[in-house]
Amino acid sequence: MNEIRFSSPKEQGKLDSVASDVLRNVRISKAFIIWIGFLFLALAACLYAYIIQLKEGLGVTGLRDYTSWGMYIANFVFFVATSLVGMLISSVLGLIGYNWVKPISRIAEIIAIAFAAVAGLVIISDMGRPDRFPFLFRFGRIQSPILWDVTVVTTYLVLSLLLWYFPLIPDLAISKNRLHGRPSFLIKVYELLSLRWEHHESQYRILKQAMRILLILIIPTAFAIHTVTSWLFAVTPRTGWDSTIFGPYFLSGAFVSGTAAVIIAMYFFRVNYKLEKYLTPFHFEKMGRVLILVSIVYIYFNLNEFLVPGYKLKTGDAIHLRELFTGHYAMLFWGVQLVGLVIPVILLLIKQMRRPMPMMIISVFVLAASWLKRYIIVVPGQGHPNLPIQNVPVEWVVYKPTLIETAVTIASILLVLIIITILSKLFPVIPIWEIAEDDHDKEKLSGNE
Amino acid sequence: MKYFILTVLFIILPPVIAWGQDWVVPEERKGRLSTFPFTDETRQSGEKLYLTNCISCHGNPGKGNYINLVPSPGDPATEKIQRNSDGEIFYKLSVGRGQMPSFRNVLTGDEIWHVVSYLRSFNKNYVQKVMQIITSSAYPGAVIMMTVGFNEADSTVIVRASAVDEQKTVPVTGAEVRLFARRYFGMMVIDEEKTTSESGTAVFKIPAGLPGDKEGNIHFSAKFADEDLFGIVSKDTTLMAGEITVPVSLLAERSMWNNVRKAPIWVILTYTIGVIGVWGFIFLIMMKLRDIYIIGSFIQGKKSSEAI
Repeated sequence: MNEIRFSSPKEQGKLDSVASDVLRNVRISKAFIIWIGFLFLALAACLYAYIIQLKEGLGVTGLRDYTSWGMYIANFVFFVATSLVGMLISSVLGLIGYNWVKPISRIAEIIAIAFAAVAGLVIISDMGRPDRFPFLFRFGRIQSPILWDVTVVTTYLVLSLLLWYFPLIPDLAISKNRLHGRPSFLIKVYELLSLRWEHHESQYRILKQAMRILLILIIPTAFAIHTVTSWLFAVTPRTGWDSTIFGPYFLSGAFVSGTAAVIIAMYFFRVNYKLEKYLTPFHFEKMGRVLILVSIVYIYFNLNEFLVPGYKLKTGDAIHLRELFTGHYAMLFWGVQLVGLVIPVILLLIKQMRRPMPMMIISVFVLAASWLKRYIIVVPGQGHPNLPIQNVPVEWVVYKPTLIETAVTIASILLVLIIITILSKLFPVIPIWEIAEDDHDKEKLSGNE
Repeated sequence: MKYFILTVLFIILPPVIAWGQDWVVPEERKGRLSTFPFTDETRQSGEKLYLTNCISCHGNPGKGNYINLVPSPGDPATEKIQRNSDGEIFYKLSVGRGQMPSFRNVLTGDEIWHVVSYLRSFNKNYVQKVMQIITSSAYPGAVIMMTVGFNEADSTVIVRASAVDEQKTVPVTGAEVRLFARRYFGMMVIDEEKTTSESGTAVFKIPAGLPGDKEGNIHFSAKFADEDLFGIVSKDTTLMAGEITVPVSLLAERSMWNNVRKAPIWVILTYTIGVIGVWGFIFLIMMKLRDIYIIGSFIQGKKSSEAI
């Protein structure tokens, strides 16, 4: 009864074909059960490590007086960074009027939700007394970037959820009658979440109005979330963090890791969900160009971040930069800069490399390097503070993440994968109505098969 | 291998030698005694000074929680340190050695004696001997005394030194005198070293704007530079020679580092307006979900009534 109707039969046929292509994947298959079972099993194993930490305290981690922000905080920064891509794809590129982002935008939002949601949990894992988390609000200081960070991460998560949910409403209405053979609870969820959507003109008008507000609102929020995260570091006088360009430096880096994450997800859905018709080489080519652009911007900020203090070589900076360039962290530093940034840009300039498969491989390197890059930003500076502590055992000075710490970090990554899996398996991963509605996409869709 | 052993020896030996060496105090200093008796007041003052200057290395006396350095700082309550004479402890605190700093220009002579008095409170067998007379090789048999006064007219501090024995009082001439003012940590040299005149006086110019306490008081300490010739002669005085300084707490006004009730207005406004603004829009958008639902219900209701 409540079915979307297009005026021409051609358009109606297109809707049917898009819906059947996308909804083919919305089912609880054997592979899905095995995969999600594996994820939960691995998560349980890693949570056991967290229980040990909860019982014994942060002493079971490598965190000590010198390095009190280690792998957890590096991971947190990485998560916040990666989640920013939701804003880049849907808002910035969408508002400019690039229609090709339509099939990708929901994937970007799913990544944004998953990473932003778990980022908050990662912070709790860094707390020795998580039961005191409410103290942050009871005794929090409004002057502290930590309070600002909690505020903006929460806000960004809510906005991302809304930005995922709003365009999903018509899809839910389209899908609920086409889910034959799926579990009844799923159909009920669709019925409930579709909010009696009738494809009425006035409903579309409200939807588009809300989307416009959301797309604009999420831009300053996304800028705030990662700028404030950078301020957690930059408002301290610590060498390596004491930088005026940390905000844009973090933001540009965030777009690199987020774009890489979206490309990997696109490749996965293209191949596993058989969505070759919608996530075409054309989209990969475009995303390749986006990755080149954001990487070059990030290289530019890296140049500023390292060349300017490297030229002046103030005492603290000199020690810090020597550690990074030729010292203990040299391998990691140059590896990240070259393998994760410079070489990908050079490779992506070659057209053949902007095809799905090579792009995916390059993106895996970029994403892994992005994680390690956060580690390099967070950890090394703490090894040589402005006021060294006297008579500290050497194992307290040199930070080494422990097995438990690594397991808890892996748990957070598993959680992200679980959220992505659930959102992409139980709901349409490609916006059905937007694709069907868009005439301009037609040539592109047919031209790339 | 030979070089390796040599290198190891070079690294290990110096501290070991330093440790092994006795800290030799010149014979004439060993017997020096305080000129005032140790009282509860001097012990309390000494404890305060100890907590500021000594505890970081020596720990709490009697607890053995000194830090691990070579040579070991040691616990001052132990027999090893307590078997030093008063003069030896006074000398070691004044002169220092290696990592042990010299407190000669940090504490006044009286203050160093206060610390000695505090340290002696951990020794039950200690019986104090007080020296009444400071002997001087330049004025044998005489006690050297100093008076310190402030001349407000030209903003100078005048130190007058005289040697007093049973028969007469003579001015101490040609003696180098230094004047210090106490500050948060240690002493600040005022003007430069002066030599006492024919009348035994030395005049020190007070720099303009030297901050005093709430009443303008400054704690001065005058000292003879040549300890060998005159013995340790010092005079501590408090004079109203400084500018009245009323300290303003850094927490008095609204600031970024203050508590939440004293946050800067602009931070409160920016944060509040930002949060209310964005969440206001979020609330509006949530209401749009309601609108969509209401419209849908209305259409569905109309359709079902048509169907009937």
